[in-house]
Amino acid sequence: MVNCLSVEPRRPKLGWVGLLCLAAVLAGCGRNDAQVYRVAKEQPPAASPAPGLPAGHPDIASGQPKLQFKVPAGWQEVPPGEIRLASFRVAGAGGKQAEVSVVPLPGPAGSDLDNVNRWRGQVGLLPVAAEELSKLAQTVEIARQEAPLYEQAGPVPGSGETNRILAAVLRRGGIAWFFKMTGDDALVAQQKPEFLEFLKSLNLAAAAGSTNLPPSHPPIGGGGMMSTSGLMASVATAGEAKPSWQVPPGWEEVPGGQFLVAKFLIHGSGVEQAAVNVSSARGEGGGLAGNVNRWRQQLGLAQLPQSEVEKLVTPLEVQGGKAILVEMSGAGAGSGQKTRLVGAIIRQANGTWFYKLMGSEPVVEREKAAFTQFVKTAQYAGLK
Amino acid sequence: MDRRQIMDRLIGGLTSLRLTAVCLILAFVLVFWGTLAQVDLGLYKVQNEFFRSFFIWWTPPHWGIKVPVFPGGYLVGGVLVINLISSHFKRFTLTADKAGIWLVHFGLILLLFGQFLTDRLSRESTLHLREGESRNYSESDREAELAIIDRTDPRADSVVAVPQRVLMRQREIRQWALPFVVKVRAFYANSKVAERAPNAAEPPAATQGAGRHITVQAEPRVAEMEERDVPSAVVELVGPQGSLGSWLVSEYVNEPQEAVCNGRTYQLAMRLRRFYMPFSLQLVEFRHDVYPGTDIPRNFSSRVRVERPDTGEKREVLIYMNNPLRYGGETFYQASYDKDDHGTVLQVVRNPSWLTPYLACLLVGAGLVWQFLTHLLGFTLKRKTAPAGRAPAPASAGLALKQTKV
Repeated sequence: MVNCLSVEPRRPKLGWVGLLCLAAVLAGCGRNDAQVYRVAKEQPPAASPAPGLPAGHPDIASGQPKLQFKVPAGWQEVPPGEIRLASFRVAGAGGKQAEVSVVPLPGPAGSDLDNVNRWRGQVGLLPVAAEELSKLAQTVEIARQEAPLYEQAGPVPGSGETNRILAAVLRRGGIAWFFKMTGDDALVAQQKPEFLEFLKSLNLAAAAGSTNLPPSHPPIGGGGMMSTSGLMASVATAGEAKPSWQVPPGWEEVPGGQFLVAKFLIHGSGVEQAAVNVSSARGEGGGLAGNVNRWRQQLGLAQLPQSEVEKLVTPLEVQGGKAILVEMSGAGAGSGQKTRLVGAIIRQANGTWFYKLMGSEPVVEREKAAFTQFVKTAQYAGLK
Repeated sequence: MDRRQIMDRLIGGLTSLRLTAVCLILAFVLVFWGTLAQVDLGLYKVQNEFFRSFFIWWTPPHWGIKVPVFPGGYLVGGVLVINLISSHFKRFTLTADKAGIWLVHFGLILLLFGQFLTDRLSRESTLHLREGESRNYSESDREAELAIIDRTDPRADSVVAVPQRVLMRQREIRQWALPFVVKVRAFYANSKVAERAPNAAEPPAATQGAGRHITVQAEPRVAEMEERDVPSAVVELVGPQGSLGSWLVSEYVNEPQEAVCNGRTYQLAMRLRRFYMPFSLQLVEFRHDVYPGTDIPRNFSSRVRVERPDTGEKREVLIYMNNPLRYGGETFYQASYDKDDHGTVLQVVRNPSWLTPYLACLLVGAGLVWQFLTHLLGFTLKRKTAPAGRAPAPASAGLALKQTKV
């Protein structure tokens, strides 16, 4: 047996270890010092229009998405300035002026109370307490959402003039949007209806901005996420714009799951039943042939080319969009039972809606008229 | 106690198994505490303060100084590596039957050291491109820099880029390339700005540029991963003839701000920290395909054109999920996209020590296999040579490790 105590202990090569560690640390040092370099001048992005657009059409593919709005008559758009996304000047009689600003700021950007008291201070008014805030708020529509508008008027400190401020705050997607009209009391009061129309006309979906980021900053981790969380966001978005509809009697709304906007169960006699699924997609959502063939696949039917698919569909009158109706029968993919399907595809400006009534033939035949009425009478957000 | 005795005691302490146990326990506590602290502080703050540090610091209430309260990741990991190396060299000699242990230990050391190198040397950034746009730099996700750009030369810009960590720590920045001193009057790690009314009592943030019409205030640091701090700073430029004024620099400020000194024009901008590359990427097309009738993503891909002026290289490459572009020491991953499907966001990773985990695993695996085969061979030989009728001696008797008692 080896006598362990007879072995001379070898001194560890601490010097080498220390040198290696020092080298590693030094290699990382210097990364935080100021750096000096020369770079080519940055060129602005080319403003070439997308192919296929008519002559004179503004290009739609270059640069960051822009805020969309309808400029009221008499408003003059001016360069936005340091933190504004848009800015307008309004001229009134007698040289009176007002200005309108759109400022997106990341995060909550202060509470409504803080902001309202700041604006009140700008027109010489005393601050208010939290419990009085709700009395000052007027509910207005901004980009198809409700938001509070605060209005205050008073003498500007140091000038003696009376100014009025209309200010609305919309918090959405981690950004606080401030819409403010400031200027001569009488002019701003007169322009209030135009200001409210301007707020209604806004389209924020095209504007840059993401959670807690300055304007024009690319999204961190997603304008869309490469995962089901992105899908959840898109379903949630669809949920925000869920249509209002008149649900026929006998339809039982059940949880739709991850991919549906809504789902209804319809019971027949015995084990017979049918289900109505409602879903939505951006753009064309796969197109007519893609979706009709998808439904055919669910019934065990063969795929058809576009020309054959177009022969199967009939137009459907719906509010605010184009729609088609298609009917087919086959065997349910899971059950093998005789199954009937009535599908409707509604193409709208902001996407495509899919309605599908599918189930036992007797139940589907019985509910077909109610289903068609359900589809035709659905009211979508933004359409009155 | 003479010098040799002191060294022996020091070496004994560094090589003791007790130290290994203490370090492992500290590591467990550190990971547990860091996990809990992440709820309030956020992932990135905890990474920096708990794991990328030698100590965790705490400022007691009403004290003006920070005190160390717990060893940080660098200290615990560093002591563990020293302990492992020291005890290995002390206890093992290089022989054929111990070569496996050497390989295993070296593999572990390489793994730990490699991760340290990764932490110090690797870099992640983002490259955002709209269709048709070309860029030769990527940007940090979370760190900003003050860029002072001399635009006087029509052919190229000279840039002095000051990382925000420098702005945070230093009151004065002197650079040989600048004819003025940059004095940091205020720095806000996270901030918000507001328009300042002309007659407001509150003074403007600065005397020049956008700061004359804006006020700035500090905001609490964010903790959520999907948010980030937006820093701002008020800097004063002091030239040979005196102060040129003060500017508010912030990512909130869209308009370029300029200062003139000695006949040259300098632009000031607080922007995300940039990492320039000797080549550029242009986004030719971004595709976002979904399954028909649903919003379920089927494919995200970016067709980019790589152009390298010094070699004349020009080619198109398709980047899609699980298929990154590896070029020029950088790896470009498809990470995200613009909501209108006309822009892409690529994650750009530079990691010079990317090979170390693979090498480390190879070494450890080889060492384990060597050690196992050595024991197996020895045991097999002993069985064959044992006299008939007598059981072979236990394998361990012939292969006793020459270890001292720990």
